[in-house]
Amino acid sequence: MQQPVLDVRSVSKSFTGVQALNAVDFTVHPGEVHCLAGENGSGKSTLIKCVTGTETIDSGSIILEGSEYHGVTPSIAMDHGIQVIYQDLALFPNLSVAENIAFISLLNRKTTLVSPDDCSDIAKIAMERLRARLNLDAIVENLSMADKQQVAICRALALNARLIFMDEPTTALTRHEIDNLLATIDDLRSHGIAVVFVSHKLDEVFQIADNIAVLRDGKKVGDFPNEEIDEKKLTFYMTGKEVASKTFERTHVDTQPVLQIEHLSRTDHYSDVSLHIEPGEVVGLIGPLGAGRTELALSIFGLNPPDEGEIHFAGKRVSINSPDDAKRLGIGLVPEDRHGQGLFARLPVGSNITASIVSRLRRGLRIKPEDISARGLDLMKRFRVRENALAEAVQNLSGGNQQRVVLGRWVAIDPKLLILDSPTVGIDVASKSEIHHHVQDLAQRGIAILMISDEVPEVYHNCNRILFMRDGRIQAEIDPTASSENELRELVEGRTTV
Amino acid sequence: MKNTTIKNLFARQEMILLLILVAYSVFVGIMNPAFFRASTIFDILKGSAGPLLLALGTLVVMISGGVDVSSTAVAIVSGYVSIRTMMALGIDNVVLAFMISILMGVLLGAFNGLVIHRFELPTLIATLGTQNIFVGAMATFIGTTFISSRIMPESLVELGRGALVRVEVGGGEVGLTVNIIPVIVLVIVTWFILNRTMVGRSVFALGSDKLSARRAGLNLFRVRMFVYMYAGGLAGVMGVVYAANTRSFNPLSLVGDELNVIAAVVLGGARLTGGVGTVLGTVLGVAIITVLQQTLVLIGLSSSWNQFFVGVIILVSVGVTSYRTQKANRKNLTFITVQ
Repeated sequence: MQQPVLDVRSVSKSFTGVQALNAVDFTVHPGEVHCLAGENGSGKSTLIKCVTGTETIDSGSIILEGSEYHGVTPSIAMDHGIQVIYQDLALFPNLSVAENIAFISLLNRKTTLVSPDDCSDIAKIAMERLRARLNLDAIVENLSMADKQQVAICRALALNARLIFMDEPTTALTRHEIDNLLATIDDLRSHGIAVVFVSHKLDEVFQIADNIAVLRDGKKVGDFPNEEIDEKKLTFYMTGKEVASKTFERTHVDTQPVLQIEHLSRTDHYSDVSLHIEPGEVVGLIGPLGAGRTELALSIFGLNPPDEGEIHFAGKRVSINSPDDAKRLGIGLVPEDRHGQGLFARLPVGSNITASIVSRLRRGLRIKPEDISARGLDLMKRFRVRENALAEAVQNLSGGNQQRVVLGRWVAIDPKLLILDSPTVGIDVASKSEIHHHVQDLAQRGIAILMISDEVPEVYHNCNRILFMRDGRIQAEIDPTASSENELRELVEGRTTV
Repeated sequence: MKNTTIKNLFARQEMILLLILVAYSVFVGIMNPAFFRASTIFDILKGSAGPLLLALGTLVVMISGGVDVSSTAVAIVSGYVSIRTMMALGIDNVVLAFMISILMGVLLGAFNGLVIHRFELPTLIATLGTQNIFVGAMATFIGTTFISSRIMPESLVELGRGALVRVEVGGGEVGLTVNIIPVIVLVIVTWFILNRTMVGRSVFALGSDKLSARRAGLNLFRVRMFVYMYAGGLAGVMGVVYAANTRSFNPLSLVGDELNVIAAVVLGGARLTGGVGTVLGTVLGVAIITVLQQTLVLIGLSSSWNQFFVGVIILVSVGVTSYRTQKANRKNLTFITVQ
């Protein structure tokens, strides 16, 4: 067998009393895709930091391409071809693609002068290896997330990477983009480059990994070849408990639709969309990138006015021109971009979760902090947000807790309709099933729910009706009790036609 | 293909500025043919030389993600220290004047850089503080005595009178100041540093994303020190050019004009948040503001309209760019423009 690129032996690391890593072993061979699975706080990030030299280890050793180290520094890691692609990609948004790819290489060469040709030469070589098609002169901030990721991967290749860590690389990508990324990883593998893939999304993990290592509470609880483990077993190892996913059954039946949309169109976004949602329903909206799902959701929420068509809400024709109009009707939106649009990142949880009902908490001209705390705690309890977090900045919470804060905020207005746009993006397995549980519970209380998702199992198990959208139109309505999950997947992935 | 090239050309801030400049010049020329006289054009070039030096330094700082409001203070203090030193030593030499002033500017710039890097301060606040420290220290330790043209070192007066070309105009003679030579050289040098050297690209990288720059292994301290020392050095040159142009030196002048300089740089397309800016844009930004200031009289408006029009131009040109971004963002379903 080939010499491993990375061999972590019995590495421990603690931070002020918290054992972040406890005697962890982890081996990666050239051309291997090794997934690192685990809940938030299980030690994945700490392991990456120790290997790349941004954290020192307490005990154990790290062997890089045969050389043993007790303390890796960032430059040692780089010399051994270890590269990390962070979730935020760490690119320079104002610089060109070529310069982003070449910058660190040029920096390492310690050159004084640099011409645009130097950059494009380096960039071209890296891009050829990946067969990437990027415009070298494009400014990175104008690229899609998927293209930015390509730039980051090319940059790693330009630095002669032998092992690339990818930290949650698919969080901001659509299904189609994810497929492309997985193909890219496959390509890297065939070039003998090892990839450590950190992800919450189990379907991706199974699609790409050769081996899957599971961390829990700083310990490695298992390391399996892909074939020897299934989703259920992996979830068990990650959470340490059986996570039951319950299939949604509609109990609240009321056939008077809350929302009825007729022939709604907006140029370049969607056209001739008609749909209705009844109280107690969870309606799934699934489809590929550019299908117009988010655009449609924003129109219902008053942010993206339609050109044509009618919206009826609770039996009356309405025109919704702002989120405030939507809120007054009883419509809540949990947006796809939780950090950018859903949360006031630096404000405390209490303020975040009560943000939708500030006007109700107002007494005269002032809002009493006690009222915010009291109402906030109420909602936090109901949505099982860590209770001691009331005064903590919401950005310090885990993804799952954050999403429950956004959900709680909208439930606080007693909505008639909740629109959930990709509600479990970037959230770990246990929190995900908890969010699904909340969603089903809300529906059973008579709230109508429109759930937008990229994930077939998510809509299949949590919806009583599924709408398939593509090219701005609703193509089909699927009854999950009448078709299988696989049939739905084939439809969504375009393998069967409507 | 050709169509998009032209479209891209017009999408650039520089192109808009050039159009504004040309259109305005033609307008003024029609209103008052005196505009096209050599004397007017020479005056405009002379008037923009000093501000352009400060603007170049301000541009480099802004690309690195900072805002420097101490540039005028550095120029005044450096120039004043230089002149007073020469007077005290009794040496009257233009090279020495530049050397002392540049050295002083670089030192003050280094102080800015150290303060900003060591304490990770917002640059606007830090330079607001150092601006006052610089002027205050000068007033306390050296004084603020006005240097009239009578006692001004002869070499600087000569520099102010020096002309590259002289043109006969109705009996009199007007000359193009030699001071535009160092300015042209420094425009080229700044362009070269920003676009063709690793340190220049590092300035862009730092301004583009500080965390990414750190992760890339960039030595932020070195880059920042370069940025502020370079800006300081340019302000030092400006101190002497200013003395030569006015042939007298009031150490209580100039400070307060730094916002006009920043306005010119922003007008030139540099982003206050860093990472974006061009030398050409800055040159045009300064040109527009100077032309405006010096020609309102020619079209029969009192000079009190200066500020008004400068404000309008800034809002319109920056507004157009921002409106474009907003429209693009709307297409991508982003509803807030993060500047």
